[in-house]
Amino acid sequence: MPHKSIPVIETKRLVLRGPEADDYPNFKSTFTSYRARFMGGPLNPYETWMLYAAEIGHWQIRGYGMWMIHDKRSDKPLGMAGGWKPAQWPEAEIAWIIWPETAGRGYALEATHAARRYFYDTLGWAGAVSYLDPKNLDSIRLAERLGAKKDPEAATVDGNDICYRHPAPAALRNSQLADGIALEIAHYSDPKYQPEGYALD
Amino acid sequence: MTSIPVLTTERLTLRGPDASDVAPITTFYASERSHFVGGPKDADGAWRQLGTEIGHWTLRGYGRWMVDLSATGATVGIVGLWNPVGWPEPEIGWDLFDGFEGKGYATEAAAAARAYAYDVLGWSTAISLVAPDNTGSAAVASRLGAVLESSFDHAKLGHLQVWRHPGPDDLENGGMGAYA
Repeated sequence: MPHKSIPVIETKRLVLRGPEADDYPNFKSTFTSYRARFMGGPLNPYETWMLYAAEIGHWQIRGYGMWMIHDKRSDKPLGMAGGWKPAQWPEAEIAWIIWPETAGRGYALEATHAARRYFYDTLGWAGAVSYLDPKNLDSIRLAERLGAKKDPEAATVDGNDICYRHPAPAALRNSQLADGIALEIAHYSDPKYQPEGYALD
Repeated sequence: MTSIPVLTTERLTLRGPDASDVAPITTFYASERSHFVGGPKDADGAWRQLGTEIGHWTLRGYGRWMVDLSATGATVGIVGLWNPVGWPEPEIGWDLFDGFEGKGYATEAAAAARAYAYDVLGWSTAISLVAPDNTGSAAVASRLGAVLESSFDHAKLGHLQVWRHPGPDDLENGGMGAYA
């Protein structure tokens, strides 16, 4: 029973909704495991639940936060994506995490692309960053696919992370980059999809 | 969506935590007073604790209120119903901020929270967890009619006393009036 409701976003394959009690088991299994090593984990069960509650409270404090990503057809939870800015964060971050059994299908790209568009178009953000562990190669690659670039001048959370800066709204609008992201997402949702004029060789 | 209910007592207003509480919670968790309840925490930890207080309402359907003095609007503490994963059972908890102790605010707010738990949520019993050397908190439990029953060891918070509150029937039959 939060005071304000969390917006719902739909994409081609996904529904992004606020985290709920029913979605907790997947969060718990990831955050109590080695997979959480790039996100301050692994945590004990108590810390994990406290963090999960804080993910929800973040929405109330900031007016944005992390969504739970669901498969649109089965409603299965696939991971989380959205905005994150606890007190120590220098700037608002676009963050993501995909539950292990669903990795490799472009869900994080599709979800973060939609989240970024919401922050830019609906909330009017002028930009965004992602704070990544230099060893978290999957996330670095996703940041690069989203057009984010390493910003060595920017403040980091605690010096152990690297700031990747996302393209600003104007740089993203009607750009080759945005077309490329849309193309990649279309390919994931229909692997047979071949855009017109695609090089054959 | 349902919002967090507002409770009022003779002197106090209990309301849902929100963004305006970042400063008081950060100050509280920076203070020595917070060491009985998992502090001290840095600004980031305190901010996350506020997030957790709010999210608790979503996950459990109940939680803790920020307690304001109705007359001035000053926030004096956090009191309410608390039950994170690993808790022995649902608890009535109270944290008073610096400078507001000794005026009966925790007792007054906790009595209202307990009445809400019994009358609205239908709880049949309730406990409060108290750090063994937190004599101020033990006195509040005692004034509420709770009795020291057992103890509980928490992985993060250490050894805690379990105080058992009088049940709803005990309170109806001549116990202390929950609604002041």
